Amino acid sequence: MVAKALSPDISTTLGKLTLRVPTLMGSGCYGSGEEYASLVDLAQLGGVVLKSVTRLPRLGNRAPRLVPVASGLLNAIGLQNPGIESYLANDVAKFAERPCAVVGSVAGFSIDDYAYVTERLAARDEIDAIELNISCPNVDHEGETFGCDPQLAEGATRAARATTDKTLIVKLSPNVTDIASIARVVEAAGADALAVINTVRGMSIDVERVAPMLGNVTGGLSGAAIRPIAVLAVWEVARAVRIPILGQGGIETARDALEFILAGASAVSIGTGNFTDPRAPIAVADGLRDYLAAHGKASLRDIVGAANPGFLGGRSQT
Amino acid sequence: MPALDTSATVHEAIVCDRREPVPGIVILGILASELVRTALPGQFVMVVPPSGERVSTAVGIYESQGDRVSLMLVVAGPRTRELALLATGDRLALFGPLGNGFDLHTLGRDVALVAGGVGLAPLLLPAQRLLAAGARVHLYYGARTSAALVDAELFRELGAGVSLATDDGSRGHRGYVTELLEREGRAHSAIAACGPSPMLRAVGNAAKKLGVRAQLSLEETFACGVGACWGCIVPLDRASAQAPKFPAVAPGETRDYVHARICKEGPVFWSDELRW
Repeated sequence: MVAKALSPDISTTLGKLTLRVPTLMGSGCYGSGEEYASLVDLAQLGGVVLKSVTRLPRLGNRAPRLVPVASGLLNAIGLQNPGIESYLANDVAKFAERPCAVVGSVAGFSIDDYAYVTERLAARDEIDAIELNISCPNVDHEGETFGCDPQLAEGATRAARATTDKTLIVKLSPNVTDIASIARVVEAAGADALAVINTVRGMSIDVERVAPMLGNVTGGLSGAAIRPIAVLAVWEVARAVRIPILGQGGIETARDALEFILAGASAVSIGTGNFTDPRAPIAVADGLRDYLAAHGKASLRDIVGAANPGFLGGRSQT
Repeated sequence: MPALDTSATVHEAIVCDRREPVPGIVILGILASELVRTALPGQFVMVVPPSGERVSTAVGIYESQGDRVSLMLVVAGPRTRELALLATGDRLALFGPLGNGFDLHTLGRDVALVAGGVGLAPLLLPAQRLLAAGARVHLYYGARTSAALVDAELFRELGAGVSLATDDGSRGHRGYVTELLEREGRAHSAIAACGPSPMLRAVGNAAKKLGVRAQLSLEETFACGVGACWGCIVPLDRASAQAPKFPAVAPGETRDYVHARICKEGPVFWSDELRW
């Protein structure tokens, strides 16, 4: 046997959550993972962030829910989900089969919702960590209110934090004046990591029907179109908090992912990029290894925040 | 309807021929032998955009024989424009087959196929299979104008009856294809249709008048194409065998429908089970 040169280490951590590969699949974009299992080797992913679940079942918004736009996608799904009771009874057990990390996602309409659903979901062994979705733009603003109001963001985070020791990742909204200030209060309220960013509010109008394209009128913009917005948000948040950042917004390639990592993200999330090409997460992981090797770096950790002089650390405080 | 398919994989294919029967409609032949083996009539593929940064495009599988499948594209926007520029020898990535496809066993012995525009594409394989099994097949095919009626002769050569309709009367019946169906379609055992939503609603109404059931293949914008994103829903009768297993219905709600994913539970649904 000839000794092979060691491949660069691209593992990372978000709080207590260790990822062999620094890629999570974005909530709402990857189902529960099984939808993609015949297209992608799930073992090559860091993990899957499940579709957000709420206390009560939600039918979601009426059609149309999607509008492809230049370099992106507008969506207004409206948190369609079976509700936490049905979810626990019928869905969660099969997540144990996933060969990668499984992150549950919790959405709510009150502080009590966030606490209740987080407690129920985090108690299950199949769930490795919790994403707190305080920033869904597609539910009549009730949901996103939590991500846009520092007091509510703090309240939801603190309440969810009190119910579990598992890693708590709070997903921030870009639809605010100062994302860094929200990041600070969420960190102080006990978040282990921050997901930056959720979709950017937008809309599109059908000029022939003279009416909004989306059934919900407004939606959330994702894809390559929002990447520079997301990179800036990571840059700003990385200068404001010490907890690790999960960078997301239009990542399709390793080069895209590197922008977020160099700005201060410890891991990245791929959502809409899977709709362009389901092989995107594999290409991102391979490309990150190649980049580290080409730049003489042994570990991804060596380059987190490397382009950001104000980067505060991005390491878990635990 | 057939059981949900799980044989979808990523295919690295090569364009082997290209034809543009009329400006704006392109038929791309691609070498993808595994897809020929696994695809069921009425299934679709998602084509990865060659230059990235846009969501994949859902395209119905048209011909399927030997090592070759073909895809019928209508050039309607930047994504399809890019695909229409592909030439023989070019590579493209696609994933599938996806969706449920038509349930040919329940259509009986005298089947009406109803196509609007490039809704023709997913009806060729059903026509071939039904005719090979000894059923009678009649194609009702409508388009805006005669130039947009692509490959009607192909169906005639297979042995199907063909009735044509155009909005401008430049060929066949002047008006909607569903008017033809209602007028001529009294003997059919069932209907299978694909086309724009208004046409499919009209097919559903015509089926009711004719006293037969209709399988409709719905056209919609997909993002994932695999049932992950819930972006392509249609209201479906809760009692439908295709209704998602754990539908989002709150306790005490009396609503009789659930949201089904067109890309996953469909794209083919019984018209009398849709609540759209």
